[in-house]
Amino acid sequence: MLKTETYTLNMGPQHPSTHGVLRVELELDGESIVKVKPIIGYLHRGIEKLLESRTYIQCVPYTDRLDYVSSMNNNFGFCHAVEELAQIEVPRRAEYIRVMMAELNRIASHLVFMGTLSIDLGASTGHLYAFRDREDVLDLFDLVCGARMTFHYIRIGGVIHDLPAGFIEKAKAFIDKLPERMAEYDELLTGNEIFVRRLKGRSVMTKEMVLSHNMTGPNVRASGIPFDIRRVDGYSIYPELEFKVVTGREGDNWDRYRVRFEEILESAKIVRQCIEGLPEGPIMAKLPAVFKPPKGEIYSRTEGTRGELGFYIVSDGTPKPYRVHIRRPSFVNMQGLNDMCAGYYIGDSVAAFSTIDPLMGEVDC
Amino acid sequence: MKNYASSEKLAIIKEAFPDITYDEAERQPAVFVSGESLKALLTFLRDDNGMMYGRLENVTSVDWKTHFEMVYNLFSWEKYEAITVKVKLNHDKPVVPSVTSVFPGVEFEEREVFDLMGIEFTDHPDLRRILLAEDFEGHPLRKDYKQIMPPRVRHLVKGE
Repeated sequence: MLKTETYTLNMGPQHPSTHGVLRVELELDGESIVKVKPIIGYLHRGIEKLLESRTYIQCVPYTDRLDYVSSMNNNFGFCHAVEELAQIEVPRRAEYIRVMMAELNRIASHLVFMGTLSIDLGASTGHLYAFRDREDVLDLFDLVCGARMTFHYIRIGGVIHDLPAGFIEKAKAFIDKLPERMAEYDELLTGNEIFVRRLKGRSVMTKEMVLSHNMTGPNVRASGIPFDIRRVDGYSIYPELEFKVVTGREGDNWDRYRVRFEEILESAKIVRQCIEGLPEGPIMAKLPAVFKPPKGEIYSRTEGTRGELGFYIVSDGTPKPYRVHIRRPSFVNMQGLNDMCAGYYIGDSVAAFSTIDPLMGEVDC
Repeated sequence: MKNYASSEKLAIIKEAFPDITYDEAERQPAVFVSGESLKALLTFLRDDNGMMYGRLENVTSVDWKTHFEMVYNLFSWEKYEAITVKVKLNHDKPVVPSVTSVFPGVEFEEREVFDLMGIEFTDHPDLRRILLAEDFEGHPLRKDYKQIMPPRVRHLVKGE
């Protein structure tokens, strides 16, 4: 009698398409996937525990190491949470600079996504082009804080340095050049038949599926839900800025790619508005020499590049936090991986890992 | 987040669930509930037309040395309001029902709490350690956790 049985295949932790040290156990029936189990923790450093023995000011550089391709957004999220807890008023110029940096970092992070997606699908030219443009953003960050990664530029109460001379011109030049560069990607990737056929109609996530997995960020917007915390909460100066919340329709890999593509252009618009409206004034709020937030707790969320980045901080009135919990968007989004892969082929799973866009530093914390 | 559940709303919840407690003097009072009625409360908060807390955004736990506290941060997109639900747990043997049947998207977060804080969840579909190795001993986020250093490092730290 003929019978078939499923078998297990391990992908990772050192597989090139898993973006770091993610191990995925695929249960296969022939070449189609029955079940996917992500196995994580290879990069666990215990950041939440480490933060308990550091002062609030010392905590900020640790957040750089969470999602290391969008450190500015993490700094922003943590500082925003502490400011909300201690009710610190941030100067307007600092808010403008912060939003500008966060959006530039979002551009850089989405470019990394496009680069890694194209190399995962075998289009290595796309990878090189995306990293070329990301380099321009990193040069801008190098100007403001002297680092290309792990910036530690946004601090509690404001930002540490004012913008250096020549930054505005360089940022403007980058933003002016960006639509042209994006048209290049459009030609290179969007019009490429192999690329389109690898993505369209694959790993479809309906609205119900993304909501039941609690997914956030571009992954949920690609399914047609306009959930963007920049718009929903309107924190910082976002209510004053004009930008569109980009959504997809089908929720397939293609939509997840297009949503991030369009978000790059929207972020560029925000940066332009910040440059134009940049007010004069101080860049740092007055903080006491020993910074002690009042007793209490806060759950504060911001829109990271990968979704809702939340910080739950419990303060006992001392200079060190009693407990910090980080709600990492990549970690929660990973729950959707099974639904994204089940029923498709092994080759599609590579595209699915890529478009969910996990960053292992953030997943494992 | 800007809005928090108003005191009228908290009173409505109190009417439906008489065993909950909250401190009215606080700016954003958390709702304390017992483990037994946790699932019923969350179902009510999710489904009731006046509540509509459709998102369970964050699940975590705090070790207060005398007891553990489970923290659930809910958010209603329709009403634009947040609410925090808490459960106090015994420090010796913390057990709480899993809420994955109400909000399936918290599976990983509950596993993380189980892994790092050592809180047991009943009826969880797949309760295993998630970040640490299966044979790891202890729960690092507990305040009484003592790190066992490898021999060489111990030697260096003590300066022996």
